[in-house]
Amino acid sequence: MNRLDKSTIICRCEEISYEEIEEVIGNGARTFDDIKRLTRCGMGPCQAKICTSLVAKVIHEETGKPLHEIPLPRMRMPLSPIKLETLATDSTSFSTVKSVLDEVELEDGKVR
Amino acid sequence: METDVLIIGAGPAGLAAALETASRGLAVILIDESSSLGGQLPQQTQLIRPLPSEYGPLRGFELAEKLINQLEDYPINYLLQHRVVGLYADGSVGVTDEENVFPVKAKKMIMATGAAERAVAFPKWTMPGIMTIGAAQTLINRDFVLPGNEAVIIGSSDFAMDVALQLMAVGVNVKGIVEEQPEVQASDNVKIEQVQQSGVPIYLNASIIEARGNGEVAEIDIEHTGTVLTEKVDLVCVDGGRSPILDLFYQLGCSFGYQEKLGGWIPQYNSNFQTDREDAFLAGNAAGITSQGAILLTGMVAGISVCEKLQAISHDEAQQIRGSLFKELEILEDKDIWESRIHHIERYANPKLKDQFIS
Repeated sequence: MNRLDKSTIICRCEEISYEEIEEVIGNGARTFDDIKRLTRCGMGPCQAKICTSLVAKVIHEETGKPLHEIPLPRMRMPLSPIKLETLATDSTSFSTVKSVLDEVELEDGKVR
Repeated sequence: METDVLIIGAGPAGLAAALETASRGLAVILIDESSSLGGQLPQQTQLIRPLPSEYGPLRGFELAEKLINQLEDYPINYLLQHRVVGLYADGSVGVTDEENVFPVKAKKMIMATGAAERAVAFPKWTMPGIMTIGAAQTLINRDFVLPGNEAVIIGSSDFAMDVALQLMAVGVNVKGIVEEQPEVQASDNVKIEQVQQSGVPIYLNASIIEARGNGEVAEIDIEHTGTVLTEKVDLVCVDGGRSPILDLFYQLGCSFGYQEKLGGWIPQYNSNFQTDREDAFLAGNAAGITSQGAILLTGMVAGISVCEKLQAISHDEAQQIRGSLFKELEILEDKDIWESRIHHIERYANPKLKDQFIS
């Protein structure tokens, strides 16, 4: 790994620096999800697609934990960004997402 | 929408799997988020070898054409510019065409989701002008856009050598290749020689200190043999290797194993290229980062296994075809990758990561 100074960005979406990640590892964070909860690392538009491997490397360097013991971050639906309008869909024949949108009843395309 | 086989990803692995399944009479839906078939192949202008005996050696875009053309006679339902965004409780896949989301119910799925390039971090790596080698290649070969004039490449894999040569061919001055390790990572000596003969220095045991620039990259400091080398650049291409794309496997509740040589975490699978889910198979770089030839073979194995499960061919015939495909895979694939793959398959019943909480 190249030498990272304290200000080197690790999560570019949320602009989380090496120093911020180092700090929460110092406080006991050991997995990607720990770091995410404490810093917002990985919570931007790319949803950790870019920083997952960088964060794993930082955890490895800071704690000595081998990479195969650093688990994958939790991956959630939707798997990639999607407009809410699209997700809600205009089909009434099936339920697209299990959400409050399911509870909305439509009449002539409008909420009843 | 219902089908026998749903193939997710229309790169080389997905196309190879489509041929095996569609040619044996199964109904196939092939989904890809891009507007064209072939995945990353159409912008690969380099010669790709070794390939399975019925192909090549071909250039990447020629291989893409061949893979697409041989599907011509089969009634495959192509869903291009469609993305899988999730799963329904009944096992249907949620697909969007950017206007609506609809379920696709398949008897079997083959996930050929491919790989994503990894970032390389160093101070100011997020500045414009700094991109992955794959992004630079897409710009010059697909979009016909010059990403810069003066470049440094970080990383020395075979792919980095290919892109270095392709950048030079369109007039980019490649000022150097920076490699952290004590030796060049590429295994194709012809390419390494070609790069060196073009006068591109390869700095081994070297690292990046920082990039600088006002709003875009203008300079990069490289540490090499105890001294600092500053290059004026408007393009830095980074090669951090690739990681399999796993989101969908995670949502399906598949278990994972860790194989460093195959790109780190990969779904657990057996010699049928079947995950620990009855309906989910996989192929290509999603099953471990490997060469193009091996990608095609894994697509064929997954396709054959699905044909067997859906009784389009007999168990004996499937075993025989799989046996010869595995023999060819052993020959085509780098030895350390092949050994990791076999090791991974042997660990099928003992995954490292399983029963993740899915939300």
